[in-house]
Amino acid sequence: MDVNVRLFAGLHQMVGKREITLDVPDGATVRDLRERLGSVYPVTEAFLPTLVCAVGEEYVPSDYVLREGDMVALIPPVSGG
Amino acid sequence: MFEITPEPLDPGPLVDAVRRDESGAVVLFYGVARNENLGRKVLWLEYDAYAEMATKKMREVAEEVRARFPVTGVGILHRTGRLEIGEASLLVAVSSGHRKEAFEACHFAVDRIKQIVPVWKKEVFEGGEEWIEGHVPGVGDRGQGTGDSV
Repeated sequence: MDVNVRLFAGLHQMVGKREITLDVPDGATVRDLRERLGSVYPVTEAFLPTLVCAVGEEYVPSDYVLREGDMVALIPPVSGG
Repeated sequence: MFEITPEPLDPGPLVDAVRRDESGAVVLFYGVARNENLGRKVLWLEYDAYAEMATKKMREVAEEVRARFPVTGVGILHRTGRLEIGEASLLVAVSSGHRKEAFEACHFAVDRIKQIVPVWKKEVFEGGEEWIEGHVPGVGDRGQGTGDSV
């Protein structure tokens, strides 16, 4: 299934896109999605362990099961203020 | 008033938005772009944000504030894009009946903003640039309050 993924900050800069679509197996979790990102964009691998995911503008755990069409945001450690 | 904006931040409307006739104090926090960090000379800053979620999380911070302190108003503005040294990146205004609660609540709000609001800062310094990695937000990082926010 296809999952839409929004990228910010350093990830946006590394990948060069604000939004990408990743193909993951049905039943894939957020953890699986991070691994998929790393295999498609190896440049992101070093950053994957600290990435948190948000679905529907809410933080979700790594075992969260994704659904077709979910809008996922990959959230690097935040540094506002 | 809760906004993510690329425009320069104006404290006047924010203070007006949080002040009530019951307010005896308004505390206004300015976060401003500083010219050094970690011994490096910082030339300018760039902020990125997940604007929709950031606005939602700022409202949740305000709910947390209202659940903990007897405040009469809370408002938060965060700027995005390029900021020159001295420009304001974050404004937090909190009003309450008396100054003590306003100071404490504003301090709490700023700390929570830095923990859960999806905004990112890039430092451009002499010889390079770096996206600053701050706090890893937790799954439970959502507002706990019940009151309406300004």
